[in-house]
Amino acid sequence: MLATLTIDNHLATLTLNRPEARNALSPEMLGDMHAAVEELAAVAETGAARAAVLVGAGKAFCAGMDLRAVIDDPAAPPKLLASLAEFTLKLRALPVPTVAKVVGGAIGGGCGLACVCDFAITHPEAKLGYPEVDLGVCPAVVAPWLIKKIGAGPARRVLLEGGTMPGDRAAAIGLVTRCVPMADLDAAVKELTDRLLAAGPHAVRATKRWLNTLDGSDDAAAVRRGAMISAEVVGSPETRAALKARFAKGL
Amino acid sequence: MIRVEHRGEGGAVAVITIDRAEKRNALTPDMARNLAESAARLRESGARAAVLAGAGAMFCSGFDLAVCKADAMATGDLLRSLTATAKALRGLPIPVIAAAQGGAIAGGCAIVAACDIVVTNREAAIGYPVLRIGVSPAVSSPRFAMAVGFGRCRERMLDPALITGEEALRIGFAHECLPTAAEVMPCALAIADSLAAKPRHALATTKLWLNELDGSDDDATLGAALHASLALTNSAEERERLESLRL
Repeated sequence: MLATLTIDNHLATLTLNRPEARNALSPEMLGDMHAAVEELAAVAETGAARAAVLVGAGKAFCAGMDLRAVIDDPAAPPKLLASLAEFTLKLRALPVPTVAKVVGGAIGGGCGLACVCDFAITHPEAKLGYPEVDLGVCPAVVAPWLIKKIGAGPARRVLLEGGTMPGDRAAAIGLVTRCVPMADLDAAVKELTDRLLAAGPHAVRATKRWLNTLDGSDDAAAVRRGAMISAEVVGSPETRAALKARFAKGL
Repeated sequence: MIRVEHRGEGGAVAVITIDRAEKRNALTPDMARNLAESAARLRESGARAAVLAGAGAMFCSGFDLAVCKADAMATGDLLRSLTATAKALRGLPIPVIAAAQGGAIAGGCAIVAACDIVVTNREAAIGYPVLRIGVSPAVSSPRFAMAVGFGRCRERMLDPALITGEEALRIGFAHECLPTAAEVMPCALAIADSLAAKPRHALATTKLWLNELDGSDDDATLGAALHASLALTNSAEERERLESLRL
């Protein structure tokens, strides 16, 4: 399985499990992620899970969309982007708080996943960000989520400028909740999830649901349109040619 | 008084400069109209990024109040041109960087709010002090709120005090805050050069999608904001306060 779900003492852990590819989002992996998040939603409905942590197996949280896996088939990128869009909607709609534990890197769509979670905790050496425009790609799926996370003004700079930033900078602009030394990362996540698990489960669920209503998280149309916009850019001749040249060079 | 230059290979970076340093780049109705037209013309210029700059010590101190005092029509003209400038800058399919050294006050702040990336310095004076003269900054409120959220927008629109560049960075209005005013333009140009080298189609699509998402294209709200400010022009309060200004 390229994504797994475990539940321990009301705490769910959804693990991206493709460490050899730095958990890059391939169609197969996203398929397993959908199954895992749907299972998590069902478990959360019963009350058996009251908080969830999203982690990546291995050295990196998530390297982003695996465009290399789909660039040869013009029909594949739109499906992959639509799948990512639907996954972000399901992740956000979970009735329990979510925490991304970002080790190593969260790039592009991977940073999008961290951004959709209610909390994210990382370490100073981690690289986060949206280098899509550097590759000739448009970060349209994550744009609505980033605007909700850090506000439209700061999001404008992050997305137009591309590149990546270290974990402490990500904390300074509000992209992640906290940045702690790598050695303290597990403890910082546990400290947070312990508080989330100790709070009144009904109050937590009601609050999360209300926040989703309030900030437009239920607006699936914007995220789906983002997938179409992003697919249009990936499908453009110049972007396809640039990406192929890049992949041929082994970059 | 409004200069447009192109730098770099193929003129990739356009620089629009408000050039009236002796009056802290205060805008007359003619300058504001020229600014709006210059911004709109960049669309066909081939530029891949733009910098909006002000000559001298301060980016822009707002409307030329001496003109507003002498000509009852001027404030309304300026407000309309300001809205046209903001709309043109935001609608450009290329990133626009504001080099807001020294200060961006009232109308100057409104222009900065329409840029994608804002560079300023620690001591810069930023904000909307126009309530003092009976003018409403409502015209700029939608774009200011897009940048900083409605809570901070409410504070800055209702309190005529100016904030520093450092505070502007803290509330998310500015993206870069340099130690000195002299460092602002080089930083803005470096950002523009870097963005001009990125794939054009991806950048354009990203900017226009952000515009759609954050309300930049919401002409009804932007029009209502303009009318809220226009409604006060030539009010007894505004005339009285402008008349009493010693300029």
